[in-house]
Amino acid sequence: MRKVAIVGAGLTKFVRRALETPKELSFEATKTALDSCGLSLDDIDCVAHGSAPDAFDGIHQKGEYLADGCGGWNKPTMRVYVGGATGVHAVVHGWHHVASGMFDTCLVVCEEKMSNAMPHAQGFFLTIFDAITERALHPNLLWIFALEMNRYMQRYGYTKEDMALAAVNNKKNGLMHPSSQFKDEITVEDVLNSETMAYPVSRLDVSPVSDGAAAVVLAAEPVARRLTDKPVWIEGVGWTLDTAYWATRDLYYPRYLDKAARMAYEMAGIREPDKQINIAEPYDPFDYKALHHMEGLQLSPRGKTVELLRDGHFARDGNLPMCPSGGLLGVGNPIAAAGTMKICELFWQLRGEAGERQVPGDPRLGVAQAWGDLMQVSSVVVTGI
Amino acid sequence: MGILEKITRNVDNRYWNPGVGAFPVKNRYTAGVAGQQFFERLKEDSKIFGTRCKTCETTYVPARLYCERCFERLEEKDWVDVGTEGVIHSFTVVHKTLEGEAKEKPDLIAAIQIADGILIHRLGELDDMEAYIGMKVAAQFKAKADRRGGINDIDYFKPL
Repeated sequence: MRKVAIVGAGLTKFVRRALETPKELSFEATKTALDSCGLSLDDIDCVAHGSAPDAFDGIHQKGEYLADGCGGWNKPTMRVYVGGATGVHAVVHGWHHVASGMFDTCLVVCEEKMSNAMPHAQGFFLTIFDAITERALHPNLLWIFALEMNRYMQRYGYTKEDMALAAVNNKKNGLMHPSSQFKDEITVEDVLNSETMAYPVSRLDVSPVSDGAAAVVLAAEPVARRLTDKPVWIEGVGWTLDTAYWATRDLYYPRYLDKAARMAYEMAGIREPDKQINIAEPYDPFDYKALHHMEGLQLSPRGKTVELLRDGHFARDGNLPMCPSGGLLGVGNPIAAAGTMKICELFWQLRGEAGERQVPGDPRLGVAQAWGDLMQVSSVVVTGI
Repeated sequence: MGILEKITRNVDNRYWNPGVGAFPVKNRYTAGVAGQQFFERLKEDSKIFGTRCKTCETTYVPARLYCERCFERLEEKDWVDVGTEGVIHSFTVVHKTLEGEAKEKPDLIAAIQIADGILIHRLGELDDMEAYIGMKVAAQFKAKADRRGGINDIDYFKPL
């Protein structure tokens, strides 16, 4: 397999209601990514595209619909879709295209426009549940997170206040991100006082509904070295599926991620991820999920994560910054685009181009992760400079 | 494999009712950055606009924000009034409704080429036997009061 580098990145603003069509959002991210490394569409050999359920953009076969906005006209173009994990998985998918030797360059583009759904995208999630055993109980997506969060908190004796610390950490980081849809800092009290959606999940434990797109350009080693002095190498990739019977999982420990993370670390030659990784972008659609995933990523001992968070270990200037981008909680959550946004963040952070968000100490290794499908799949990408 | 019932006509198929717990959700779309302007010009000025890529000299109709071939951004200066006439690129005569019933009067639907773009629209003021590929047609706009800033602001295309 060939070495593959990220050589360019582009991101739209994340917003609640974009005028741009899904195609136009994709174009903006793709164009920015191409411009960032001085390439034109002629230099691109193939397109790896990612987007979550068709229902969100409200267009069936949206991979085909979006393709031209992703630079896919007259090129080998392939969509990948693993629900919420799509944004990181699309990068794994693009990595395959280049690492295999099939293509020298690959555009990876992810887009989501959640605001098309009226009154709320939540309605489209109803049909992900088992038609016979669960739907008759009128479930909604929050049930999954509420059951998981409750079990996680109970297992380690965590409180809602503990979980809110993660929301505060990520939102604070996000305020420095030019793509963020937020402008105000929040406190633990704000989270605790926000309305209960499905206990223990309160409104501010949850990431927002967003529109946006993100793109990265991948290149094989010789091409990457010609294009830039600072290629960001994809050192490891991993992905795993747990059972589709979601409630039978270890709700307090993300086993779906354990194996995916170990797979990526093994490929990257990382033996002690908690000591070797400098930046972590765990998937954080909910505050407790950031902590949950830090454990699954082997970056924090099980049940010790809140303690480390309180000690500042995961702060932007701590030993292992967690979601320096701001994550889904701090930047926004246009599903597939949010995962790729995490990869963009690693690219900028490792190149020292993250502006006021820059993590101190010249970080050299980073990991990004996303989670999705029927909440049982995870994809992991390790990058290094 | 068990078969619960045998349906020989689609019209006999029953609608699947998700029942209780259903959350009525619909999609509301935006016309987009280019689309917004395209439909404003259609509604206000009865004009059809395209955008022309200088690099590959393709004129997209309806106007688009970017050239899919060159990935150039198509800006204000790239907007061109392409007139309201076009040529039938292909057409079909639709005899059945979505439910499979015979239509009282068949619909004429055409792909109409304007500059390098294609608009799908209805044909009017001609009999289905008269339509032919290559026929020149012109947009028949609705009365201003009836326009809503959508593709139906053009009522149909008619022979020149």
